[in-house]
Amino acid sequence: MNLMSVSTLSFTLAFVLYCISFGLYCVAVGGKRWSNRDAKAHEKKWTKLAFLVAIIGLVAQVTSFTTRWIFIGHIPNSNLYEYITLFALFTMIAFFIIQFIYKKPLLGMFALPLTIILIGYASVFDTGVQPLIPQLQSHWLKIHVSLAALGEAFFALSFAAALMYLLRTVDFNSKEKSAVRQQRVIEFVIISVIIVCGFIFSAFTFKGMGYTATYEHEAISLDTKNQLVTSIVQVEYTMPPIFRPYNSTQIHMDSFLGLTSAPLETPEWFGGANAGRKLNTVIWSIISGLLLYGIIRLIIRKPLGKLIHPFLDGIDENDLDEISYRTIVIGFPIFTLGALIFAAIWAEKAWGRFWNWDPKETWALITWLYYSAYLHFRLSRGWQGKPSAWLAVVGFIIVLFTLVGVNLLVAGMHSYAGVQ
Amino acid sequence: MLLPENTKCECGHQNGIGTILCESCGKPLDPELANSNEVLEMRYDGVARPSQKANPNFIDKIWNFFSSVKVAIYLILITLVLTIPGAIIQQADTFLSVTFDPSTYYKETYGTIGHIFYLLGFHKSFESWWFTTLLVMIAASLVICSIDRVVPLYRALNKQQIKKHLSFLKRQKASLSIELSRDTDQFLNQFSEQLKKKRYRVHREGQALLAEKYRFSRWGPYINHIGLIVILITLVFRSFPNLHMDSYVKIVDGDTVPIVGTNFYVKSDGFKIVYYEKDELPADKQDTVLVKSFETEATLYKCVALCDDVTQEPQLELLKEHKILVNSPLSYKGFRLHQFDYDLTPRLNAVSPSIVDKETGETYGPFLLSMFNPEQNFEVGPYKLTLLSKYMDFIIDSSGEPTTQSSSPNSPAFIFNIMGPGLAESGENYMYFPLEKDKVRFAQDSINRELSEKIEIKVFGMENVDYAEATTYLNVRYDPVAKYLLIGSLICMIGLTMGSYWNHRRVWLRIDAQTLTLGAHTNKNWYAIRQEIAGCLKQVDIVVDQKELDNGGNKS
Repeated sequence: MNLMSVSTLSFTLAFVLYCISFGLYCVAVGGKRWSNRDAKAHEKKWTKLAFLVAIIGLVAQVTSFTTRWIFIGHIPNSNLYEYITLFALFTMIAFFIIQFIYKKPLLGMFALPLTIILIGYASVFDTGVQPLIPQLQSHWLKIHVSLAALGEAFFALSFAAALMYLLRTVDFNSKEKSAVRQQRVIEFVIISVIIVCGFIFSAFTFKGMGYTATYEHEAISLDTKNQLVTSIVQVEYTMPPIFRPYNSTQIHMDSFLGLTSAPLETPEWFGGANAGRKLNTVIWSIISGLLLYGIIRLIIRKPLGKLIHPFLDGIDENDLDEISYRTIVIGFPIFTLGALIFAAIWAEKAWGRFWNWDPKETWALITWLYYSAYLHFRLSRGWQGKPSAWLAVVGFIIVLFTLVGVNLLVAGMHSYAGVQ
Repeated sequence: MLLPENTKCECGHQNGIGTILCESCGKPLDPELANSNEVLEMRYDGVARPSQKANPNFIDKIWNFFSSVKVAIYLILITLVLTIPGAIIQQADTFLSVTFDPSTYYKETYGTIGHIFYLLGFHKSFESWWFTTLLVMIAASLVICSIDRVVPLYRALNKQQIKKHLSFLKRQKASLSIELSRDTDQFLNQFSEQLKKKRYRVHREGQALLAEKYRFSRWGPYINHIGLIVILITLVFRSFPNLHMDSYVKIVDGDTVPIVGTNFYVKSDGFKIVYYEKDELPADKQDTVLVKSFETEATLYKCVALCDDVTQEPQLELLKEHKILVNSPLSYKGFRLHQFDYDLTPRLNAVSPSIVDKETGETYGPFLLSMFNPEQNFEVGPYKLTLLSKYMDFIIDSSGEPTTQSSSPNSPAFIFNIMGPGLAESGENYMYFPLEKDKVRFAQDSINRELSEKIEIKVFGMENVDYAEATTYLNVRYDPVAKYLLIGSLICMIGLTMGSYWNHRRVWLRIDAQTLTLGAHTNKNWYAIRQEIAGCLKQVDIVVDQKELDNGGNKS
């Protein structure tokens, strides 16, 4: 057994332990009303157990990270898979730090699923190892990328606390207009999370089935001398094509539910490399996410927000508000240093200019501006509590876009980060 | 308001207009505020800011506008929103091609929306006038907001009274009121000790107490803002020309070229791409080709004499040798050369052809024919060659005349006058294409007619060809102002760290008869201050849960 298999094994172990820990948290909160028990003692006992399992999970993930580092010879944060796993690892660490300060174990009920989804999402990308390309061969890779991830992990935790706050404080029984609107937006946030799960679910299902479909299409691009170059590009699908690439011919397609050709064509204005495959993946994620959500709704027969709301009854909402704010205060300087200042220093060294207005950089700046607006909002009266929680939720969406959206949708100098 | 406002507090302190809480005793001054029971707003300790003037004039109004945090937030949000299009549509300056035309490109790529964005200047978002204006406004807001607050805050914190008004204590976000059943002096002594253990500085006055720690954290945001101002000012200075240099040099392997705008010369001893070896690649990627490094062996020279003389070689003095890698530029006194691009098209430097007498089969030569500085006359065996003309990039133009497209030896061609055995007395003209592809393309043999039956100029073997394998492109940078950005960032981080990881905490306490009234304030992190006070009280045998100290005020 070599180090790499140790790493893979402990990674799987960490994932399983996180899932168990999450289950235990659910028992801790959900089982409070079971008969013949003292609610407080029950909660205390089970959260303790859940927390313990999460700690062992973290130890396993740190082991996985370290062994992978030793095996590949450079810090494992140089492609999307490695980066998102590191992000998940830091989210857990941030959770432990906040747990240490505030002793609010129930935060784990939100922090753990966040970590689990992040790990699942990361595993969809190419998990293989690859030596570093020249641009990444620098000590700054360790510092810049890791610190940015750590800062973002605190923002992620702030999102978890803010979502908890909203689920706790929004009145789910009211029929008032503003309450109904808040209920809907929360439900929408939950559905978005389920769609991410849908993406992970469909990616692994079709991977397990070994599904493939291949297309050829003519790509026209400008070369460095500004001349039009036509090339034949093969596009490989791993999910059944609902949308085939624009202007393409089918080479091969595994039959799916009797379907042997794609029913729709990707519109032309969906530019960029592999636009068809990306659109197809998005559509599949939405379909399977909504399907998943539909099944849950069929079983529980009420909105998910309404289901979760009563379980958060005992938690002090002011503490949640403070945790959500505090995590941003902790994360903000780390993010500033890692994602902007160190980024600029490295860029100055590698590219000869400290700022390129490269999409990833610009989005990091947008994230930074957003959170500095958040911090100033907190100074004004009336922006604590709910408005601030909504801001933290939106902030995390921006973080996620900076993290993965830019790599998947916009080209730029950071696009080498291992997207297939 | 017609009558001048009475701003004198009952404690006798004269406050400025706009003061919310008496600067001295902390009593709420506004009658409406005084009569309510809500938690007090403790911003800047309730002291008036300079911008809160009774009769503002024009300059005051501008000052007031920029002194508002609300305006600052709007400025941040507007900048944020206007940055987004620039982060999504590809910016014009990222196209290296000279023929790039933004007026058509955006319409073709993004449709009508793209054209509208182009017209609004979003293709050059970050050089546009509106972006600069926003940055200037943010800078103004940073300066004015900070001055407007830091001055009164400093004053308020510098002359704090120990004994505060009862309503001031009771209306803090963290507050407690209990009856003491023991000697009050003894209690005060014990409690002070506990607070000191928690690193509080404790001041006492009779039966009142003020404990304070980490006041410096209040200056964090202002220090951070100073850093940001340094950065913004530096960016403005950087936009003046001549303060920084950004150009490119192209060097063919083995060449030495001047760097325009300096007296430096740079030589490349060869560019090369190194690929990962098979054993360095993971098992599943054995068949992929992955670049390990881009390297230029470079030498930097300074010209010491004959620099402007075109007819003579300049005298160079070696300054530095360095292998330039992507993450390792050649750096000399702030002047840097970065690996930017490369071209692997070989360039012909010289050939050494021989002359073949086709009738006898005899071969003469070889002789050296340089592409750039060829000799004018050659003597090869019995032949005498005179170079009549030379084309570096040969082509027949539209009027049928031979000409050259460029000065790069892409399709070199030479016309010689050759005299020798079996040839005309005055010599015969022979056209020679060193590259095989040109020989065929321009039909060398039919150009030379019957002469091509008699002789041939020909290169035997690759050892007679001298060529450069690659061309490297280096980015020349000189940016002395950039260090102020680093200094600004450092100041920023110091401020952020001070303000984020420490909190200013104050505890006021007074005992009236046996009634203890305690109020506490922090700018962040209420949970911790309640926990801390509850902990100290527990040490002196007063057991309260931290929640009992919570006076509300978070709800909105």
